[in-house]
Amino acid sequence: MGAHEIFRQLLTWTPYLLGGFAMNILISVVAMLVGTGIGWALAALSLSTHRWRGRIGLVLTKFSRSMPTIVLQFYLAFMLPGEILLPFSKTIVNFPVWIKASLALAIAVAGFASDNLTIAMEEWKKGNHHAAFIFIPSWTTYALIIVMASSTASIIGVSELLSRCNTVINATGDTQLMLPIYLYACLFFFCFCYPLTMLMKKISKTLAKRLVPQSQR
Amino acid sequence: MKRYPVFRFLLSILLFCTAGQISLCHAQASGAASSNVHVAHSDRLALIRERGAIIVGVKTDYAPYGMLNSAGMPVGFEHDLAEDIAKRLGVKLRKVSVTGSNRLQKLQDGTVDLVLATTGDTAERRKIATMIEPGYYASGVTLFMRPDTPIKNWTDTRGKPVCATQGSYFNRAMQQRYLMDLQMYNNDRDAKLAVRDGRCVGYLFDDTAINNDLANPEWKGYKALLPATLNNPWAIAISMKERGTEFEQLLGDIVADWHRSGFLEEREKSWGIPPSKFLSQTDALWQKTDDDGQPYCRRLSDGHWRAECRNQVFLTSADVGGLAQFGLWLNETTGIDLTPVYDSFDRAQFLHGLIVTFYLTFLCIVCSLMFGWIGAVCGESGHFLLAPVARCVATLGRMTPPLLSIYLIFFGLGSVLNKAFGISLPAFAVAVGCLSAYAGSGIMNALLVAAATHRLQHPDFHLRFTNIWQLARLASGSITASLINVSKATMMASVIAVPELLSATTTIIAERGNVGVMMNVLLLIFLGIVFAVVGMLRYLEQKMLTRVA
Repeated sequence: MGAHEIFRQLLTWTPYLLGGFAMNILISVVAMLVGTGIGWALAALSLSTHRWRGRIGLVLTKFSRSMPTIVLQFYLAFMLPGEILLPFSKTIVNFPVWIKASLALAIAVAGFASDNLTIAMEEWKKGNHHAAFIFIPSWTTYALIIVMASSTASIIGVSELLSRCNTVINATGDTQLMLPIYLYACLFFFCFCYPLTMLMKKISKTLAKRLVPQSQR
Repeated sequence: MKRYPVFRFLLSILLFCTAGQISLCHAQASGAASSNVHVAHSDRLALIRERGAIIVGVKTDYAPYGMLNSAGMPVGFEHDLAEDIAKRLGVKLRKVSVTGSNRLQKLQDGTVDLVLATTGDTAERRKIATMIEPGYYASGVTLFMRPDTPIKNWTDTRGKPVCATQGSYFNRAMQQRYLMDLQMYNNDRDAKLAVRDGRCVGYLFDDTAINNDLANPEWKGYKALLPATLNNPWAIAISMKERGTEFEQLLGDIVADWHRSGFLEEREKSWGIPPSKFLSQTDALWQKTDDDGQPYCRRLSDGHWRAECRNQVFLTSADVGGLAQFGLWLNETTGIDLTPVYDSFDRAQFLHGLIVTFYLTFLCIVCSLMFGWIGAVCGESGHFLLAPVARCVATLGRMTPPLLSIYLIFFGLGSVLNKAFGISLPAFAVAVGCLSAYAGSGIMNALLVAAATHRLQHPDFHLRFTNIWQLARLASGSITASLINVSKATMMASVIAVPELLSATTTIIAERGNVGVMMNVLLLIFLGIVFAVVGMLRYLEQKMLTRVA
């Protein structure tokens, strides 16, 4: 099979693969939003002056930080039902497996967010508003880690980019396509992450510039 | 500041509500099921009618029984059967793709109503699912081998690496009988590629699937010489809770009708499958009538088919070892089915998994550190080629998901290397390499950033192997974070048949169905490992920092 044929194959499957990548992004976005929400709650709990609440917040943060995401994905995939019959009604709520993957990632995000928000909130309380803003660049860096981790959802059967690559290899029955298609998938991730990283660097720099004079004032 | 308590309060209420609701559903579901055990009514069937669709777990990797056609649509022999069931029930058909390792879990967690996915009817599986009698097809197990294989009979496989897929009923029996070194892959494709690349002497699988593969030009010259053994009927599986309900009866009647009407043989023919001996014999049996014109195979007063028409072949392999009594006692008194405690086979598998995980974690940490350190020194070297290459690797490495790079190296590069030079890459090394490259590029990046920051005050600083301690304070935080992350990711190695803990656990679950217990044990053990790693790394970090200071 020539290079031309390989490019033609890749082009044919591009929309299908892009759909898979959209799933990666969706999983990551949901995980970041839910995780940051929970993390905020945990941070607020950790900062509580009430002795027990503070302790509970810290312990929960520690646990969610140490939970290996892949194991948690398996755990949720196996242990949560696929659909839930709401009590007192006949409505069936679907609980698709990608949400389970998102939730597993969200736990890790919660641990991270709680840790960093605790610091940010303390700084904010002290009046160091600029120091609190350091949360934003580290949050984005973590978002990239989550995008990378979203591909592990393929192990529990979410139809994201990596599992779609495998589906294509299966469907075409063409093992020569393997190396090109995995490299192509790497390109997807790179094209998404690289510009985002560059943008973050820029924002961090402007933030730093704007914040330094403010702190000297 | 005033908003925080309110927010906290609202959030805790929300959390409690959701948790409460989920547990409520569970309670309701299980309560309903246990209240009508005796006969007739089926909750599942009611649910299917309620939603107007039946959800069937089917295979898409087992041509021609279940596969994707050229348009990417799932089709196959079993898909035709699923369609017929939906038609008879008067509901729509919704298909969910399942694999050998997850089909029974999907049944247990309620994702699918029934599984029609080349499931062999075994005594073990009857403990975790309801298998519909009669079976609709049958298969035995054989070995898919390379054209140049030296293996002549089953005993030649003793001690040799043999590829297999998780969740096949014959894995355990064959491993015990012939002492094979089984390497567990997640799916059929990966296992066959491993055979092609010479990682194992053959792929242990159903003869029905292997015969079909042999007809495929892609596998020209490949062989399956060994006689099929452990022949076993395939059955439709439904949930454990549905035993003895109208759902089970209904499905049993449908399969009986398939045998009587010749529907199965007709479908078999239309998919170009060579005629199965099982099918012709079973069809003949079910078409037989008594002298009074009644069908010979009919239900007796207890609801079961007459004994002559039931599945005869059952496999049992419950060998019991040392701690057996405690494990069985625990199981009987509390319902906690900790098979690794009382079953020596599961225990050996589990402990081996634990050791491999420890080893993997340790090596990943060491290799990531080396990778990051050497890479950062190269990046700082100022060499016209080395420096930009190292910096490029640091950027690329962080932007490639480690799981993807494992697939890329192991299958993508592995198949090219094997074709060109006959080399096969060892799975363990690939896993360590890919994970270390990911974590290592994070470390490299941290060191490079730290070096740049350090240069603000010491303009002529350049990172060398010897002066890394000057960056310790600036970089140690993110280095530790990277190392903790890699120790949390080692279970990715399971996708390329590295027999680590996650892989061992899912294999045990696929065979035993003790999902809850095993998942909880797994989670606790991994939490323990991560806590230990975090503690150790933080201790070393502190020690190093005080020494530097």
